Parts: sequence; C-alpha cells; structure tokens
Amino acid sequence: MTRWGRLLRADWIGLAVLIVAGAAALSLARPEFLTPYNIDVILVGFCLTVVVALGQGIIIAIGHMNLALGATGCLVAVAFGGSMQFWGLPTWAAVLFGLLLGTACGFVNGWLTYRSGLTSFIVTLATLSIFKGASLGITEAQSFNGISDAVKAFGSDRWGPLPEMLLVAVPVVLATALFLGRTIPGRQMLAYGGNPNAAELSGISRARVVILAHTLSGLLAAVAGMMTVARLQIATPTIGDEWLIASFAAPVIGGAVLSGGHFPVAGTCLGVLVIALINQALVLLAVDPFYVQVLLGLLILAAVGANRLREARLGTGPTLRLS
Amino acid sequence: MPRYLERIAGAAGALLLATAPAMDTDVKVGLVPGGPHPYFANWEQGAKDAKKDFGIAAADYKVPAKWELGLQNQLIENLTAQGYNAFLIFPGDPVATNSPMADLQAAGIPSIATAGCTKDPTPALFCFGTDTGHSAYLGAKELIKALGGKGTIVHFTGNLVDPNTQLRMDAVAQAVKESNGAVKLLQTIADIDRTPQEADEKINALLAARGKEIDGIITTAWLPAVSSATALRRIGDKRIQMVGIDHDPVVLAAIKDGFVHGTMLQNPYGQAYIGSYVMEEIVGHGCKVNDKAPFKSVALTNRFIDSGTAFQGIDGVDHFENSMKAVTAELMKTFKATYLICP
Repeated sequence: MTRWGRLLRADWIGLAVLIVAGAAALSLARPEFLTPYNIDVILVGFCLTVVVALGQGIIIAIGHMNLALGATGCLVAVAFGGSMQFWGLPTWAAVLFGLLLGTACGFVNGWLTYRSGLTSFIVTLATLSIFKGASLGITEAQSFNGISDAVKAFGSDRWGPLPEMLLVAVPVVLATALFLGRTIPGRQMLAYGGNPNAAELSGISRARVVILAHTLSGLLAAVAGMMTVARLQIATPTIGDEWLIASFAAPVIGGAVLSGGHFPVAGTCLGVLVIALINQALVLLAVDPFYVQVLLGLLILAAVGANRLREARLGTGPTLRLS
Repeated sequence: MPRYLERIAGAAGALLLATAPAMDTDVKVGLVPGGPHPYFANWEQGAKDAKKDFGIAAADYKVPAKWELGLQNQLIENLTAQGYNAFLIFPGDPVATNSPMADLQAAGIPSIATAGCTKDPTPALFCFGTDTGHSAYLGAKELIKALGGKGTIVHFTGNLVDPNTQLRMDAVAQAVKESNGAVKLLQTIADIDRTPQEADEKINALLAARGKEIDGIITTAWLPAVSSATALRRIGDKRIQMVGIDHDPVVLAAIKDGFVHGTMLQNPYGQAYIGSYVMEEIVGHGCKVNDKAPFKSVALTNRFIDSGTAFQGIDGVDHFENSMKAVTAELMKTFKATYLICP
C-alpha cells in the first residue's frame, strides 16, 4: 500500500479533516476565532480534557470503565487545594500528595475489581460515591481559595497562544502513546482488552493488567484534577462532575472500541479537539441556551457517525477488524 | 400519604416525645439545598445562629452529594426517618419538588421553599428567597449606569432547571429594553452554574472571540460571577464593566482591585436564620402562616417573601456581611407580626 493509501486508512484522518473544515468555517464566520487569546482558550480546554480522556482511555483499552474518574479528580483537587490552604504545603509537596492520592484511589479501584470479581462498572460506581462523599466531607461543599501563586500562574500563563499547561498535557499524551504502543505492559493491556481469555492463556496476568490500568487511570485523574485547580484558581467539590461524558465521547469519536483492545491515542486527541470546537461553535454562534445540549449531542453523534462511515467505506475501523 | 412516611413520621414523633424534656422544643429543622454550591454556605451559619438564639432542638444543613433531584428527595426521606420535622428546601425542580413536599405535608411536616420557589399550587408554606428577577434587574441597571447608559452587554446566568434562571433572563432583557436601544444584549450564556470548569470554558470562549464588542458583563449566578471575575483579571481588562452576584472571595477581591464594578448581594444567611425561626414558631409554638399576609407575586408563586438584596460596590466591600445581617435584622422586626398568626 502506498503512503497516501496508509494515510487515508488511518483512524484519525477523518477527524483531522473534520477539524480543519470546522476551524475554517468558524474562522470565516468569526475572524476572531484565530486570535492568540482564542487559540489559548481552545488549547487550555484541550489540555484538561485530553488528560481526562486518556484517564478513561487506559481503562477502555482493557474493556473496563471508570465511573469514578471525575470523583477521583475531585478528591485530588480538594486535597491538593486544602493541603496548600490548611497545611501550608509547598507546591511541590502538594502536587506529590495529589499524585499519590490519585494513584492510591486508582489502585483501590483496580484491586477491588480484581479481588471481588465484580465488574469495574459496579466497583467504580461505589467508589465514585465514596470519593465524592469524601470530597464533600472535606470541603463541606465550600471552595478552597488558598492556591499557591505558582499553581495559579501555571493555569494562567501562556507563551503567545500556547498555554503553559501544554507542558503537562503533551508529555502525558506522548507517554500514554508510547506506553500503549511500545511497552510490554501496554501491549499486554491491549491484548487483554481484545480477548481476556486468550490473553490469560498466553500468560498475561489479569491481576497485573487490571490493577495497573486502574492505577494509571487514577494517576491521570489526579493530574487532570490538579490542572483544573490551576486553571480555575479554586478547588471546589464540583470539579470533575462534567468529566464523564467527555471521557467517553472523545475516545469513541477517536475510534476507540468500548469493549477493549483498541485505543487510538491520536484519534482521542482529535476527538477532544472536535468536542472543543463544537463547544466553541455553540458559544460563538450564540445558540439559544435552551437548545445547546440538543445541538451538542447531535453534533457529537454526527462526528462519530462521519468517522465510522469513512471507516466502513474503506473497510477499516476497529469494529470491522475485530469481526 | 405513602405508608413508609406514615411509619417514619410516627416513629420520629414517638422518639421526639421521648426526648422532649431535654430540649427547649422538639423542632428539628433540615436545611436541604439542591446540591453542593457555595451559595448555601451561609445557610449553615444562619441555622446555627437560629438554633442558639431561639432554642431550636436542631437546625442542620444537609447537602445532597450531587445536583440530582432523586438524591435530594432521598436525602429528605432519610432526614425524615431521623426525626426531622420541618424543612427548608431549595427546590431541585420547581414542579417536581412539590411531590416530596406533598409527602411531607401529608405526614404533618411543614416545608418552606427557600432560595428558590416551587410552582403553585404547592404544599410549601411559602417561598422565601431573593426576588431574583428584581435583583437581576437592579444589577443590570447598575451595570447600565456604570456604562454611562449605553453599550453592549452579555449576560452569564445559572442552570436552566433552576426556577430562578428564566426570571433573571427576563429581568435583564427588561432593563435592556428600558434603555430604548442604547444598550444591546449581545448574548446570554446559561447552564453554567454547575461546575466552574464549564463556566470558565464558555465565558473565556466568548471573551476571546467577541471581547472587543463587549462593554459590560452582568452575571446572575455564583459560578459565572467567579469565572468572569477571574477571566477579567487574567486578561487584565478594566475596560469591560462587570456587575456580579453574591460574595465569593474571588468576586470581592476583583471589586477591590477594580476588575469588577460591584456585586448584587443576596441573603442566604437570613434565609436560614429566619426560616429556622419560622419553623420553631410553627412546629414548636403552634403558629400558622397568615394567609392574608402581604405576600409578593412572582412568576412561580403568589406566596413569596423577599429575603433581601443589595448592591455592593467598592465602598464597604470588606464588611459586606454587615449589610446582610442588617437586612436580616430589619426583616425579623416585623416578620412574626406580618406573616404569622400565633396562639
């Protein structure tokens, strides 16, 4: 197959075309779309959502789901903010604390899923309630404002149109892509997600795959939670409440298979951009507030449908490959 | 009345009677917001102060884990089982919240729609909250005054399921209409009061793309006010005038630093304080609501009592609590005589 042929069959090419066309249309409709400030706004949204989507994607790769992703991010966010406000922890220590807490939450999800034999849906539904309840208990439904200046600056500063948050988001994306594509544990996760029985028969440890995936998901939720605090400059117990839909929508738009075995990192990044563009278009085009949700759902469906249609025509796509 | 509520009410009543001698009265007030939100923080202090000042057995602030009607209803049922016999409820939905209130009423437990109204006909004794439409109207007028009577404004407001949101949108539109074309309402963004991240994204997107066209911002919900104040500080823009709402430290600091013109204070403290007092009088001392009292009419109900609002500019911003305590004290002076009939 030629290079062009391979390019046309890539998971992400349809989305890339969609994004370029969407961005061009928005630029024509509103020339301010391409101002540095607006590009910064889009990229900040991208940075936050892509980490959330990858946190879910790691779990989707093994055919599980993490309903507690937002609750984990929320718990880490309020613990991160609270540790600075009440304990006076320096920024580096608060970040370390947040990372450890998120990792621990993820480990608990994985260990419970493995040991109990229950589905991750049930386990994370329960831990969602626990983590969310803990966040409410810690904050008593209030916001923490004692965020360090360094964290606030990280959430606000930019170089031209590029937000500093890219310093975290880009390495996270690259590390996830390398992990899933080039490392043995990453490949084992995809193999397990594609066919758990075959993977176990070939010597892949179910315990290791499940616990590792959930632990990494918790770690990524922690990163996203702290990035959100940096952006908002407050830690509130509602952080993460809106993550669930985007965490599934972006990977699915990007071509991930919810039953596991296939998780395209590049496609997920483009899926995040598609959602960001749709959200921005709804604001810029002054859509009636009462119909924003309807249009958002329709446009996401259209984006997924367009990509799947292209895959079907080319005879590619994860679903077809699995069958 | 559902049987489980009858049993719960019976058990609760027996328990309360058994413990009555140890308390001033047997009134246990549950204050239940629609979900976690900083607006309701002052409910807790208002309830604590009322408990202390009026000898109420309990006045407790209980928050549902999320903004879900089912969770709020479940929490009310749980509190009923624990013996709470009076409720101040922020309606999760103006119509649907009538259902749990009707169950409470059937069990002999009174409720007040607090900080937001239920739609008539409603089992709520009355609605006690900010006249949100009036507050939004006054805020928009303050903004238009700060703009010199002309300009282009945007309105950032709350959740569409919140009964107050439509009232706020109508009120801002009315203030703009009264400018006879001198002020233009460029856009209204709603449904951004659940999570700060959502508000941040949408407000920044609009400011980035159309900031040059915008002269003023009116926000009529807490999180949009915080996000707008943060955004204006981030871009360092003091050209755009903003009138916010409520008293989040971020908004107050932005007023002090000149990024925000002022804010429309509400009185959640007074809602909880006076609401708990009313429940003590009704459940503990046999008072009844005076049906002939001078209730206001608002879009959802004809039994509305305004808990007060005030514009807070840079002057006295450090002592904003005093303004609301003064409003509360003023309301308390005549509340019993005006709205209650006591034996």
